[in-house]
Amino acid sequence: MTASAPLLEIDDLGKRFASRDGRSMSPWVIQNLSFSVSDGEFVTIIGPSGAGKSTLLNMLAQTDAPSEGIIRFRGKPVREPGAKLSPGLDCQIGYVFQDDTLLPWRTTIDNVLFPLEAQGRLDDAARARANDLMKAVGLNGFERYYPHELSGGMRKRAALIRTLVYDPPIILMDEPFGALDAQTRVQLQEDLLRLWEAGRKTILFITHDIAEAIALGDRTLVLSRAPTHIIGDHRIDIPRPRNLRDIYAMPQFAGLYETIRAQVQ
Amino acid sequence: MHKARTVFDRVLVVVGVIALWQLASFSAGAYWVPAPWPVVQALWAMAMSGELARHASYTFQAAAWGFLIGGLPGAVLPFILRRMPRLSAILDPYLVGGYGIPKLALAPLFILWFGIGLESKIAVVASVVFFLVFFNTTAGVRAIDAKLVQMARLVGASEWLIARRVIWPSAVPFIFAGLRVSTPYAIGGAVIAELISSNRGLGYLVQLGAMNFKTVEVFAAILAITLIVIGANALVNGIERRLLRWRPAHALNKDAASGGM
Repeated sequence: MTASAPLLEIDDLGKRFASRDGRSMSPWVIQNLSFSVSDGEFVTIIGPSGAGKSTLLNMLAQTDAPSEGIIRFRGKPVREPGAKLSPGLDCQIGYVFQDDTLLPWRTTIDNVLFPLEAQGRLDDAARARANDLMKAVGLNGFERYYPHELSGGMRKRAALIRTLVYDPPIILMDEPFGALDAQTRVQLQEDLLRLWEAGRKTILFITHDIAEAIALGDRTLVLSRAPTHIIGDHRIDIPRPRNLRDIYAMPQFAGLYETIRAQVQ
Repeated sequence: MHKARTVFDRVLVVVGVIALWQLASFSAGAYWVPAPWPVVQALWAMAMSGELARHASYTFQAAAWGFLIGGLPGAVLPFILRRMPRLSAILDPYLVGGYGIPKLALAPLFILWFGIGLESKIAVVASVVFFLVFFNTTAGVRAIDAKLVQMARLVGASEWLIARRVIWPSAVPFIFAGLRVSTPYAIGGAVIAELISSNRGLGYLVQLGAMNFKTVEVFAAILAITLIVIGANALVNGIERRLLRWRPAHALNKDAASGGM
């Protein structure tokens, strides 16, 4: 690890929502939440349900404004106070949702190419890159299929490479593998780690599964109940490349699992 | 296998209906209920003399223009109102009221305004089609998955691209549901406007036959109208199936708002 400046800094972040009539404010959902992420780091975030995990990601992705606090990207605040939100921060922040959010009327390949079309970057090099990614996750041969014709795991893979294809420096992932069966889930985790090790993007990965948080991350952050802040920051010193199928047998695993589980209560 | 079975059963139903029709003709008398064969012969004679084409094309013109003039704004307006929630809230009760008006009751008024020519028939058809398409499309625009729009914004899509590539395709099935329901109403609306006052069209043929006590001609005209409705329906369904190939088969044939004659 080099001691470079953090890529992303979150400083004293807070969020509460206006009530329906706009006259009163809800209690704080997130308060005094601070952490930073360095370039190329894989950070997993774990917390009890209702801890405002999705709210946190929405603020980082610039689809929701924080009530207080500052988010800095490469040392600069992402938004002047009162300025309009810029979702995705000019394609610098990718977002893999809990649902696959594929466009049902587009074939797999057209879904993967959608961000490039939106950004006006649809050229031969982009198509070649999309094809490479399709191959890397075993979707070759399914280019012309519509999402409803794919399995849940394949749809997830398509959603994942749709984000990778335009190469955003930061990727946010909101419990992306939550709804999958155990076997498909391990395959997708392996795919993700392989792609990450090849490209070394910065990833913020939210999960409610402690084993998944340890298996994937360089670091695991533990969130408290609302008002949410960080109550644990654990370095996962399990060497890479990791074998996800016997990571549970690693000597460090049990200790980390116990410490984190005690905090997640 | 399954499909062949369905076709066979349908033919069976046609045979049954013709048999019932023949039976009704025997018991009521050929004057009140003409038998199927003379009706087909009369229709054939009308087709041969070119009379059928002349009247049918008139009705078809009224239906098609009304379909276009009513359907186009019905399909476009919900997209504009989506961006203008205030205007939408103001107009809402009036649109619901307009949907509720029995459009055929407006036909005499349209004839007063536009005369007994094609224009008044187009107006009746357009007023029926507009509301059916408008409310179906509005339902489609409201049913758009907000997550898909959010995803598109995150990957850098402009509002114009989102409208074309996300909102429009997800509303198309609803627009087609509106069009599918409107098709028979469009032709029916044109025919009934012709019944009220016209000197051409299939509705006029029905009226003329009844005035001359020629039930065979009435039946022949009604048969022609039915065949045209079936043809138009098949056409709309065919276009829909082509455009909506991406949908899982079970999602087709969703219920749509209907009524409004």
